[in-house]
Amino acid sequence: MLQKDIHSFLDRFFIANECEILERHEHLLNVQLTIELDKLLMNRPFYWHYLEKTGGVPNPMQLKLRTEQPDESEKDGEFIHFGSPRLHQIFQSSQQLAPYIRLFEQVEQTLGSFTPLVPWLGLNIKVSYQCDRKKEFLYSIGLNLINGQMTDQFQTFLDSKSLTPKISDYCYTMSPLIRPMSGIKRVEQYIDSVIEQDDPQWAIDARKRWAEDEELLEHFYQDVEDKPEYYHVEKSALKELYEPTVYVKIINGGMFYLSDQKMILH
Amino acid sequence: MTLNIKHDQEWSEGFLKRIEGDGPWANWELYKLALEAEESVTIPDFLGLQAPKHIPHVQVLPHQLEVARTVIEDMNGKGILADEVGLGKTIEAGLIAKEYMIRGLAKKILILVPASLVLQWTHELTSKFLIPAVPQRKSYVWEQFDVVVSSIDTAKRSPHREIVLEQDYDLIIIDEAHKLKNKKTKNYDFVQRLKKKYCLLLTATPIQNKIEEVFNLVSLLKPGHLGNEEYFDEAYRSGRYNVQNEEKLKQLINKVMVRNRREDTGLKWPKRFVKTIPITLSPAERELYESITEVKKDQSTVLQHSFSTITLQREVCSSREAAFLTLKAMSEREETNSAIRETSLYLMRKIENVDRNSKAEKALELIKNIDGKVIIFTEYRATQLYLQWYLQQHGISSVPFRGGFKRNKKDWMTQLFKNHAKVLIATEAGGEGINLQFCQHIINYDLPWNPMRIEQRIGRVHRIGQEQDVHIYNFATENTIEEHILKLLYEKINLFESVIGNLDEILTKVGMKNIEQHIRQIFYESDSDGEIRIKMENLTSMLKHSDDEGDSYAAERHS
Repeated sequence: MLQKDIHSFLDRFFIANECEILERHEHLLNVQLTIELDKLLMNRPFYWHYLEKTGGVPNPMQLKLRTEQPDESEKDGEFIHFGSPRLHQIFQSSQQLAPYIRLFEQVEQTLGSFTPLVPWLGLNIKVSYQCDRKKEFLYSIGLNLINGQMTDQFQTFLDSKSLTPKISDYCYTMSPLIRPMSGIKRVEQYIDSVIEQDDPQWAIDARKRWAEDEELLEHFYQDVEDKPEYYHVEKSALKELYEPTVYVKIINGGMFYLSDQKMILH
Repeated sequence: MTLNIKHDQEWSEGFLKRIEGDGPWANWELYKLALEAEESVTIPDFLGLQAPKHIPHVQVLPHQLEVARTVIEDMNGKGILADEVGLGKTIEAGLIAKEYMIRGLAKKILILVPASLVLQWTHELTSKFLIPAVPQRKSYVWEQFDVVVSSIDTAKRSPHREIVLEQDYDLIIIDEAHKLKNKKTKNYDFVQRLKKKYCLLLTATPIQNKIEEVFNLVSLLKPGHLGNEEYFDEAYRSGRYNVQNEEKLKQLINKVMVRNRREDTGLKWPKRFVKTIPITLSPAERELYESITEVKKDQSTVLQHSFSTITLQREVCSSREAAFLTLKAMSEREETNSAIRETSLYLMRKIENVDRNSKAEKALELIKNIDGKVIIFTEYRATQLYLQWYLQQHGISSVPFRGGFKRNKKDWMTQLFKNHAKVLIATEAGGEGINLQFCQHIINYDLPWNPMRIEQRIGRVHRIGQEQDVHIYNFATENTIEEHILKLLYEKINLFESVIGNLDEILTKVGMKNIEQHIRQIFYESDSDGEIRIKMENLTSMLKHSDDEGDSYAAERHS
């Protein structure tokens, strides 16, 4: 993310959370936080606890963020860059605030007819290849819960649609033939197959590094009859460090009711 | 190959509830933002460093980046960081820690440093690396916080010890790791027991003395890397200090150790200009000095052993105040016999006759002729106090500086010096842990007997960030023990001129970890100046000879 992307991210984040923007320049945002965001971002649980006990008038804080290194004259405002703890706190807040979603496609109404909307399960998934090193992939998978069709880059597809939280008039939703839970299982299996088809060299190499270190360790203690505790500690540390493992985590996802269209499986 | 694949089920469970409860559902824009946030923090590759773009306010130097990359990619996160003093080992360790944190590979981190550096480390990690490190203060800190900085002495003691050993640390960083060279110590045992996944050992002097110290250090980091003890002895050891199969050993050590020398870094270093300033003692000062020498020669008494004549001679070369304190303490000590007490009182009376400080006068003259700021290093607090008073009498403002100062007092004094004072007067320990690059003039008011300490003094100023040439003035009182040290030792080995990075290794090679003790012995045991000269020449040639050989275990990684 470049500084201008960070600025635009922050701007969209506060607007989406219905915060009043008090000041906005190319590199500056001054926002009036809502109560909810104050609680999420400002780390003052005692204030909010006190307020709820006493029934006082809530006074959420304002937040001034700069995306350009402030010079001497502009002392107020937090400088936000890609490594800022504040930015990562906002990243996490966005994920806390949006784990589950349900949306309906907005459909141009054709006179006198009803439009069926097909239920899709959409999942954004992070896959982490981890040993003593790490590499990650993001997948956005859509699964048609009527016919089982699966598609990659579902999020990009959704971006081209007009979606609303309320179903349009003269539309109705079709009942899923695949239950959401088995849908999730199908997507997981698909992800597993992608992982298994991927080049396993990284895991082979990690196991090799692991074996090398373990061999050294064994050699070190080879003449010791009663292995000391730290031999076992070291051994399990090696396992934790090197053992290649893949972590699959759903970032967010939900139900998307879309007008019927043929989609192509990638 | 079958891979271990772990699916996080947390999301699915929540999803079912939302379906049953018909919401609540997220806002579409926030949903998209959450995904964009995740995209931006997704680690695109096993290799490469993510950390630099997270700390744009820190100027990371190329050799520091290279160290971080090497440790992570070639050493699997287990390494001895052994750059010379002043090249930024803290930065390198911080970079590596940051990288593992960003990658989500390290969460729980323990940093063990000398007690005096706990706050400094905490400060560097939080301000430079935006790593939320906390100094260890209470015993609950270990469990409650992910990144803790502590002294090893605290951590290894009950009740902390038990709690620390139970923690599941991902990364352990140990500063001043050369202190762990002896495997019979409690510190060594404690560190050995710690669970070490990623582990960084920081030391400017990885190889100090005996060959087995290297073995111990490496075995702590990666047991078996140099074989077990028996194998190691057989393969590499030849006598107490000597090594066989040196090439092979070097290669092995270089697999777990990175060491940069100043000249390797490709950085342009400012020049050092060194000047010896001879000081002639005033008659009264000379008389005091000679009186002490007489005591030393007095074979008849028991004074020889219990009476620190050499200490006193050195102190007299600094200030009468320094010598006075020592004498006073001696005369008041309970076990002191009457002979010592009398001698002390006799010398104290001599001190009263001293009416001026020739060195201080010279210092004043020098300072008045220097345009910029000046740092005066002295070994003695009494001298420090005296100088502050003396300079003030002549309208020169100065600030004191000691190693014992708390972190924020150090910062405060540095600020005062930078903005308001002409002179900083530092005692020995005051030399550590602070950067004074805005100053270019150093007066070595008196000289420590350990050349490494000289290097540390100069290193405060002659380091990364210094943009101008550095001037060093060595005060040497003529015809004293001080002049001997300067002329017979330091000047011979070009201590001040060159950036003597491998001095630590030279001292190690000649088995002279405690050079101070060695010099002290020369002075004690010699009956004449001639004898002192010869012995010092021997010492010098030994050091120079080792330097010419110029090899060391770690030297060739970058060459």
